[in-house]
Amino acid sequence: MDYIFHIIILINIYIILTTSTNLLVGMTNLLSLGQAAFYGLGAYFSVLALMVLHLTIIPALLFSAICTSLMSLLIAYPSLRLKGDYFVLATLGFQLIIYTILYNWISVTKGPFGISGIPSPSLFGLLYISGIYSFLVLSSVLAAMVIYIFYKLIHSPFGRALKGVRDDELSLLSIGRNVTSLKIWAFTLSSGFIAIGGCLYASYVAYIDPTSFNLDEAIFILAAVLIGGTGNIKGPIIGAVFVVVLPELLRLVGLPDSIGANLRQIIYGLTIILLMRFRPQGIAGEYALK
Amino acid sequence: MFLQFIANGIVIGSIYAIVSLGFALIYNTTKIFHLAYAVLYMFCPYMILTFFHGLGLNLFISFTVAIIITVFLSVIMEFLVYRPLAKKESSLNIMLISSIGIMIVVTNIISLFYGSETKILNSEISKTFTIGNIILTYAQISQVSISMILIVVFLLFLKFSRFGIMTRAMRDDDVLCQVLGMDIYKMRYVLFALSGLFSAIIGGLVAYDVGMDPYVGMPILVNAVVALIIGGIGRFEAPIIGGFIIGILQALSVWAFSARWQDAVTFLLLIIFLLFRPTGILAERKRLV
Repeated sequence: MDYIFHIIILINIYIILTTSTNLLVGMTNLLSLGQAAFYGLGAYFSVLALMVLHLTIIPALLFSAICTSLMSLLIAYPSLRLKGDYFVLATLGFQLIIYTILYNWISVTKGPFGISGIPSPSLFGLLYISGIYSFLVLSSVLAAMVIYIFYKLIHSPFGRALKGVRDDELSLLSIGRNVTSLKIWAFTLSSGFIAIGGCLYASYVAYIDPTSFNLDEAIFILAAVLIGGTGNIKGPIIGAVFVVVLPELLRLVGLPDSIGANLRQIIYGLTIILLMRFRPQGIAGEYALK
Repeated sequence: MFLQFIANGIVIGSIYAIVSLGFALIYNTTKIFHLAYAVLYMFCPYMILTFFHGLGLNLFISFTVAIIITVFLSVIMEFLVYRPLAKKESSLNIMLISSIGIMIVVTNIISLFYGSETKILNSEISKTFTIGNIILTYAQISQVSISMILIVVFLLFLKFSRFGIMTRAMRDDDVLCQVLGMDIYKMRYVLFALSGLFSAIIGGLVAYDVGMDPYVGMPILVNAVVALIIGGIGRFEAPIIGGFIIGILQALSVWAFSARWQDAVTFLLLIIFLLFRPTGILAERKRLV
């Protein structure tokens, strides 16, 4: 039973990641290869909040979300001046820079050794969140909250304006909307929410190291969104479930882990290629990538 | 010591220059952001390993066969993935994502069959060659000289042959080429084959020097793409210049700080260029942003 709970917690974490990435990819048509950097920053900021500042869980979540958003603002402004491939490249560049910093700034991040023994966070200083059941509740609540916020966001005037950026930037400009500021909002909001996923991951696993937030992870998050589908709420959720459950299914079939790891990557890769060819909006998405 | 670092920079720069040139050959003409190009770089050494160690052929023959297979793989990528997408007039982002898909698939197939640990082709201690106080291995010297030959031959072909003229025409406007009766899909096969050849040759040579693992291609490609941006998109001389700049700069950052920060220096340079001169050093001025 614990095993199933563990998978549900992972699914919840990935739902947060994919839903926030969808705000960029599906809603605003900004393909970012730097999402793992914000995921990592969120995790490291939350460790700072939990271990150094001794905050309880809700302030820690807010702290890491806000700090990551501020960092992303630094990145958003220069990269959003660029378009298409150049934007992808700029985000790739930032992803690699942040990874290099996390990996090499040993006096602060402990580099490749990682940070272990992250204490279990407490709720208002009363209730300690440790053990799988409380994390199940916490992650489900957070995932549900993120889904709800994004549901509201997509159906708000702001969400419609973002869809406008995605579908036809020029006509949005011509009716006097500030496209750049909309994009910057989308970028910072997305990274703020992705930091919540990082915070959850750090406190659940109680150990983080930079390799969990490398370029492969960024590609993985993007792949999850694209497989599930872009532009609506259910697409990213399906994507998160797909990428988390598939390796477990392969394990149930009885493939050894050494083959299974490669095989599931091959399945992801083939799924992406086939989806891009025949169904560019993903399994359940509404927006075909442009 | 300084000269030694410059020499190392030129060796690394020649790798970046060739990979970047192969990438540019596709990017400039078809606008495909061909990330799967990284895979070709590490695919060739594994083929050499199969023929050289597995079947016991001699080194030169296994090199040649491996290069041919890699070129074939490059053409297959175009045939199975990019060509159908291009015929559907899919967007460039879709091409990019499909390319990531190919990269994941091929990398993991290699890792499934050969394991993901580092493999070496040449188990002897490499012989070195000393000029003044610069020490280089023979493999490094052959890397530099073969890349120089490739670059010169390619640039001459580009300037004077019919193929070169067609490539430059495709770079300028591929729709117009089609209107004028050029078979651009046939041309694309040739371009993919040629870029596969570049990657295979340099990948094989580097692996003979330092060995390989299934993930070795991506860091090289990322640096090569940075080299392309810095050099400038459009001109075919640009990636070569960019490659050598990146190589020497990385070697100097090892000299000045430490090896840990060389990637950070490269990407900082990328961000600076994207912000202040997105057209690169060589390219003619036109709006990209």
